[in-house]
Amino acid sequence: MKKALSRGLALGLALAVGVGMAGCAGGGSGDDKGVSGGGTYDGPKVEINFWNGWTGGAAPVLVPKMIEKFNSEHKNIVVKDVPQEWADIASKMPLAIKAGKGPDVAVLHGDDLATYAAQGLLLKSDDIIKGLGYTADDFPPGIFDKGNYKGAQYAVPWSVTPLGLYVNKDVMAKGGVTDIPTDRASYEAALGKLKDAGVQGEWVDGFVFTGTFELESLIWQFGGDLFNDDVTEATFNSDAGVKALTWMTDLVKNGYSPANVAQDGNIKALLAGKTAFNWNGVWQTTNDAFTGLNWEAAPVPQIGDQKAVWSSSTHWVFPANKGQDTNKTQAAAVFVKWMNDNSADWASTGELPGANSVRNDPSLVEKYPNLKPFIAELDYAHYETVAPGIGEAAAEITTALNEALTGKKSPKQALDDAKAKADQILKQNQAKYGQ
Amino acid sequence: MASSALVTPAAPVTTAGRGGRRPRPRTRRKTLTAYLFLAPFLILFLTFVVAPAVFGLWISVTDWSPFRDVQHFVGLQNYINLFTPGSINSGDFWRAMGATGIFVVASVPFLLVVPLLVAILLNRKIRAATAFRTIFFAPYVLGVAVVGLIWGYILDTQSGILNRLLELVGIRGDIPWLVDVPWVWVSLVGVTVWWTMGLNTVIFLAGLKGINTDLYEAAAIDGAGAVRSFFSVTLPGLRPVMLFITTTTVLASANMFGQSYLLTNGGPGNATRTAIMYISDQGLSQNNMAGASAMSYILFAFLAVISIINFRVQRERQEGPAA
Repeated sequence: MKKALSRGLALGLALAVGVGMAGCAGGGSGDDKGVSGGGTYDGPKVEINFWNGWTGGAAPVLVPKMIEKFNSEHKNIVVKDVPQEWADIASKMPLAIKAGKGPDVAVLHGDDLATYAAQGLLLKSDDIIKGLGYTADDFPPGIFDKGNYKGAQYAVPWSVTPLGLYVNKDVMAKGGVTDIPTDRASYEAALGKLKDAGVQGEWVDGFVFTGTFELESLIWQFGGDLFNDDVTEATFNSDAGVKALTWMTDLVKNGYSPANVAQDGNIKALLAGKTAFNWNGVWQTTNDAFTGLNWEAAPVPQIGDQKAVWSSSTHWVFPANKGQDTNKTQAAAVFVKWMNDNSADWASTGELPGANSVRNDPSLVEKYPNLKPFIAELDYAHYETVAPGIGEAAAEITTALNEALTGKKSPKQALDDAKAKADQILKQNQAKYGQ
Repeated sequence: MASSALVTPAAPVTTAGRGGRRPRPRTRRKTLTAYLFLAPFLILFLTFVVAPAVFGLWISVTDWSPFRDVQHFVGLQNYINLFTPGSINSGDFWRAMGATGIFVVASVPFLLVVPLLVAILLNRKIRAATAFRTIFFAPYVLGVAVVGLIWGYILDTQSGILNRLLELVGIRGDIPWLVDVPWVWVSLVGVTVWWTMGLNTVIFLAGLKGINTDLYEAAAIDGAGAVRSFFSVTLPGLRPVMLFITTTTVLASANMFGQSYLLTNGGPGNATRTAIMYISDQGLSQNNMAGASAMSYILFAFLAVISIINFRVQRERQEGPAA
């Protein structure tokens, strides 16, 4: 929610910058100019700028410590940490890169990668990544390819944030339910028992956080997908989509959920002991409000025909600054590898480290036991679609969900209308981003 | 734009009826000094308002894309698209304009009447008037993010305190304040009135203090009661203030963004997505600068027309009895 909120608040500022940005079109070609190397840098001493949006939670304390350690271990590299609001990065970075004043390395959200790559703002990083020895097998399945755009690799995964099932165990016990449900039969049985005990077990909401994430998880579970392979057409109105959305509206119809749940109304209700289940992101594990509550997180139940869950991701990128110094990019690559290798404590921020070697080390779940169910989900997690400007088309899914949940349209009608709109947007995007 | 239209009919009256109003040399020198003092602001205004506005007008007649080095002139195509039913933006844009219209029509009367009544109460010689004035003005200093957060808690359908209170007094306790129409409009207008009425109140209060108390005494001697003196003394005395407040309030309401962005997310569906929300999303998030600029100019045209009508109506009333 923070990301969305701060994005909105900075829009006013971004208007001014956006106009200025539009003024200087063009930019780097996006070639990495032969940067490679096996995770070492022995050139002259360089200072590299690192931009990130880590301004909240545990990160502002953790990251400077990590960077200090890195700097002390590397005599010829000085990393300068430049944290700022995500919205500020979005508005400043394209302009800065085109002017040659952008960062040498940055972390971006997975769904923004293609938009940046399409603008020629990122270095094609196949050689860098090969030099670091990374392959798709070093990360959870499906995430590495999210950094791929038009056949070139632009990004190295850093963290993943899947959805999970949060359970208020005291409330669940009120309905006589002892085991956390794992499939459709047990989940609906639990909801039925809770209803008999006067508890509405899952409050379903029609907003991005987190109704949309639940709907998308369900669409994948029913065997559907959000868009077709080359992202020229929306497919979320398939049978799977209708089944998924109907299952959610039925929660309200069957009395398992109240109608008209406001944004975040469901997590508040879980914390207040009014509901038993909430589909929410791994980031909630660091929510202080859980202190003292008898709660547990579990993988989301399998409602459809197969296991699937929504996840977002963040990635390292190497910006294609005008006149980028290859030494700096080389040093930045060393930094990226080091950070991934030392990312165990990133778990304290409520995100899962992307690197398999770190995340699958038994000591990680020993230290952060709440993360165990989320890690277990990564074998079947789905990540956000990669295409420039995808955000606008994907937003139609939320509109459909909201319209169906407030009874404005039937699930099928809502999804069909959203698909028609999304297709128009995808077509416009192809013209806009020159595919 | 408003002044040029209004000065013309008034001019003969000035020259024929009332002499001595033409600027004399001394006033002209004074005017020059005034302009010199205004110059620093003028420079800022030209740089940060006029220049971007002209640039925006240029963008709106091109196929502007931040990803191309060369932009092509496309004439009025972006505007034509917005007036062509079935084009990608026209439906959403006019729905957003409609939402803005609903909000303006619903909020402006409250933002005029409530502050006026509060100002009249505060203008009486009561104890702790300053304290009350501060209390009524206090919400205005809050940022929209704070306002959104506070009211998000209060107006939550299930766990919000408002529904809980309504349930306690026997009214239904499940009103979807932030989730479904028409309640979302009630919430957005209510929150906006609570948040911004302080400013209008203070301006009204200043206007009330400017009304000569002799007029009230004279009215009282003529046998006018409280209601009569309100309509015959207070309201006419507030007309210039009223004109100012109406104009600024209409413009502020038409530019509503944060409340629906934070409280309803534009929902249900896109029912409360205002024009500014849609324009900023298109221009800044979706890189559709050309279309968004055209939309801005259409919104501007609407607001300009409304402001002119507003000036006309209130100015004529003001000069009516005097002539």
